[in-house]
Amino acid sequence: MATQMGENELWLLSFYRTSEIGGALFFGRLARSMKQGANQRDMSKHFADEAQHAWLWTSCIERLGAHPLKLTDAYQDQYLAAAGLPVNLMEVLAVTQIFESRVINQYARHQRASGLHPIVGETLERIMEDEKWHVEWVRRALRAMEPEYGKERIEKTIRHFREADEEVYRKTILEHEERVAHLADVMARTRGEEPKDGR
Amino acid sequence: MADREAVKRHMARLIRQPVERIDDAARLTDLVAESLLLVEMVIEMQEQLGVRLVQEDLKDVQTVGELTRLFEERS
Repeated sequence: MATQMGENELWLLSFYRTSEIGGALFFGRLARSMKQGANQRDMSKHFADEAQHAWLWTSCIERLGAHPLKLTDAYQDQYLAAAGLPVNLMEVLAVTQIFESRVINQYARHQRASGLHPIVGETLERIMEDEKWHVEWVRRALRAMEPEYGKERIEKTIRHFREADEEVYRKTILEHEERVAHLADVMARTRGEEPKDGR
Repeated sequence: MADREAVKRHMARLIRQPVERIDDAARLTDLVAESLLLVEMVIEMQEQLGVRLVQEDLKDVQTVGELTRLFEERS
């Protein structure tokens, strides 16, 4: 079967797949060692979702007549290298909140890309439903941790990871500029320009 | 208060290594090559030893000895 996408699109979808696998492995480890309760339940669903998203991207790529590329680094690896490893559950959830917001923004921008293949659009739509829930449960869990860690420390931690994320995202986009050029507004925002269509 | 040997025993169990390998001078990143396993280990050790750490506490921690000392002081 002939592939229905270009090399750059294949790279990007493979990058999404690799990052979903990274997320599933990370949350899977944590879900295994967490104490009983709501966070354990929600983290277990979260890692199950991420694993399913990796499968959805795999399936999407195959339906488009290609095979996923083997990419070594997931986005999370670069992110944690820049921000430092989280060392408690609150910090893990703070990282997760920032990371999930990034994923939602990236997928939303991809949904708006011109010439989006319907199979890719369908996959993005399916995954976005889960991603919104991910942000919600993490926000709820962080709020519930305020008596234990303090609201101020939680906010400081979120700021720290947000700053790292913005830097890593900017570098990632610039490093792979050619591959994501078709997501024109992503490129514009990365350069600090307003997208031409005003979004 | 947990002594260093108790901390090392916890660490050895979590990373499935013989306790004899948990040498004070060993670098954590050599002992636990995968960073996510390191995160899991540190979180689990806090649960088991009743200690709470934040990222800044581990900023200068590189070796097993430095980590066990930190847990010993905080527990």
